[in-house]
Amino acid sequence: MFDKIAGRALVPVGIVVTGFLVVCFVLLYSAIKNVVIHDSVGHANNLAGIVLKSTRYAMMKSDGELNSAIIKNISEQEGVQHVRIFNKKGVVAFSSKPEEVNHQVDKKAEGCVVCHEKAAPITSLKNMQKARTFTNSMGTNVMAITAPIYNEPECANAACHVHPASQKILGTLDIGLSQEGTLASLASIRIQMIIFSVLTLILTIAGVITLLKMIVLVPMQKLQEYTERSERNNTLSHPTGLPYELDKIAKSYYFIRIKLAEIEQKLCKENK
Amino acid sequence: MEQADNNKTATIDHATKDPSVSIRHGLTEEIKRLRRFSNRGLWALSLFLFVSTLAWRDFWFLPPAEKFVASLGAPPTPLMINLVLILYTFSAIILSLSRMMAGLRHSSSFCHVGYVLVFYLFYYFAEALPDNYWAVFGAGFTILCMESYRIWTYCNDNIIKKTEQLAYLDRTGRLPVEEPDFSE
Repeated sequence: MFDKIAGRALVPVGIVVTGFLVVCFVLLYSAIKNVVIHDSVGHANNLAGIVLKSTRYAMMKSDGELNSAIIKNISEQEGVQHVRIFNKKGVVAFSSKPEEVNHQVDKKAEGCVVCHEKAAPITSLKNMQKARTFTNSMGTNVMAITAPIYNEPECANAACHVHPASQKILGTLDIGLSQEGTLASLASIRIQMIIFSVLTLILTIAGVITLLKMIVLVPMQKLQEYTERSERNNTLSHPTGLPYELDKIAKSYYFIRIKLAEIEQKLCKENK
Repeated sequence: MEQADNNKTATIDHATKDPSVSIRHGLTEEIKRLRRFSNRGLWALSLFLFVSTLAWRDFWFLPPAEKFVASLGAPPTPLMINLVLILYTFSAIILSLSRMMAGLRHSSSFCHVGYVLVFYLFYYFAEALPDNYWAVFGAGFTILCMESYRIWTYCNDNIIKKTEQLAYLDRTGRLPVEEPDFSE
């Protein structure tokens, strides 16, 4: 294979095109994945903000029933896996799953440890830091957002229940959203990109093979056949049908053979 | 021992009398050297696979990326590393093809392993290695395959040339006249 022109020419082309396409494919997919995930985290953060705004009035009034109803209704929305509100001590105050209410959560648990890693907990998080992903007990991929509930002047000054103004965080909202839609979109993008890459690869290799065969290999074979035919037969025909520089090579070969034949005839005559 | 010394002296004497012996010796040595050199690309590829295995296991023996970031400062963003990786892959492939076209003897395989390792480390520091591992692997594998192919074809062509010269030397007792290179 490597002793022939086709092999020598196609192997580097194949390696270069395939390799570069794979590198670009992986980097492009990684960039698209990052954009999609950032986008979905942004949407989830917005949703967490909406939930906090919706429960704000009920919290101000310390209306547990209204809070539970809001959380129950939100959790019935398609794609919402769980909604929980923790108080400052890490106890579940409200949850879409009633059995979780009044249960204590470990501060080292995933989702809590981001802020409680050090002795003094972090009070503000960026969008991406609020997000975490995991697979729940039902086997669904979930992206959860942990949004802090900040103490505001209305809360600190409310008559119903007292939060000192020095307390920055009153609790946290934990909302889990199914990632199935995002993962399905990414899988679809990945399949389309693979198909596109494979088609590009096939077209490039096929194009190179066709051009190489048409421009180099077939004329070279004709030249080879012409020289072999000339060696077998004494009668030498004029070369025809050879393109480009190969025609010149064939003509040079033809004239050399003619000269050689003349010299041979002359020598024969002299010997006789 | 004495007999070996005598044999050696006899060979040297014979070589000084007959120049074709020293030429033959030179050609044989050159062929051996080319055969050894032709494996260089494969050695580099093996080293690259070893480095990639370490990266695949997330450089477990290194301290966590945060420690490096704390002492060295923030690494470049993954997007910036991606752009540099594409630029590097493109340049390395073009360079390798140019060397192949010019028929240059250039042994640059092992430095590419170093460059690829640096990319792995940058992604590790930026905590983006799992997402970009296959991109670096693909880039390294492509470049090193190209380099191996280039070195192998260079050595193979030269071994054929030297073997033909050796055969000509055996027939005529001298080296063939070098034909001018019309490709330059």
